Amino acid sequence: MTVQKDRERNETKHLHKFADFTEKRVLEIGCGEGRLTWQYAKETRVAFAIDLDADALRVATIDRPADLESRVYFSLAKSEQLPFSKETFDLAILAWSF
Amino acid sequence: MVHALDEIRRVLVPNGILIDLRPTLDRWLIEVASARETRETGRMLDFPLGLADDEAANQSMSDAKQKGWFTREQEEFFPFFYSWDSPSELEEWIATEWHEFTGLDDKTKQATRSIWASADADARVRVKVKMLITRWRVAAQNLKAVSQS
Repeated sequence: MTVQKDRERNETKHLHKFADFTEKRVLEIGCGEGRLTWQYAKETRVAFAIDLDADALRVATIDRPADLESRVYFSLAKSEQLPFSKETFDLAILAWSF
Repeated sequence: MVHALDEIRRVLVPNGILIDLRPTLDRWLIEVASARETRETGRMLDFPLGLADDEAANQSMSDAKQKGWFTREQEEFFPFFYSWDSPSELEEWIATEWHEFTGLDDKTKQATRSIWASADADARVRVKVKMLITRWRVAAQNLKAVSQS
């Protein structure tokens, strides 16, 4: 049972149409296993991706390419209590969150 | 979610951007798609709690706008597809991954199997999700409030 998500890359195209990630400091809320993170991370200066699902974060960390280890960080955190100082990010993504 | 939006504006720089990317939870379409044609076979069952969540998310963003935290700059809908090689794979996925919030009725299952069986060899089964993407910018009005906090 293999599912393919967004093989048409509609999500990636729209994400890049709506935001320029070049050299940006990015916060992603609701990153899950990092499916969306990999679509923009290479362009950023740094990306912090958070989620409440520890298992998903473990998968994301394992899947993280070596060249992104110093640029993409995953952590367990609540969106209502972000563990960052004010004005830390240029861009935030609320990903599949309600 | 309003608390989360308040936190997001705190950690964004002046003129920072928030991208809100989420599925709308109105009933997702089932399709059989090949390179030659796409045929609709039905819809997923309703999302009894999901619809309320969708509305709540819209309300939270509306509240944030009214509070002067963000201004909406751009918004679009686009399709997002989950794809499987066969109807049985779709059914298995729903039974194991989505059973808590949605399902397929027998009529749609039957229609999907039937249309897929007579479709081209490259036909796949897919669920079409209507996505909403919105770009918000930290409102100028917010800058003074943040600088004082």
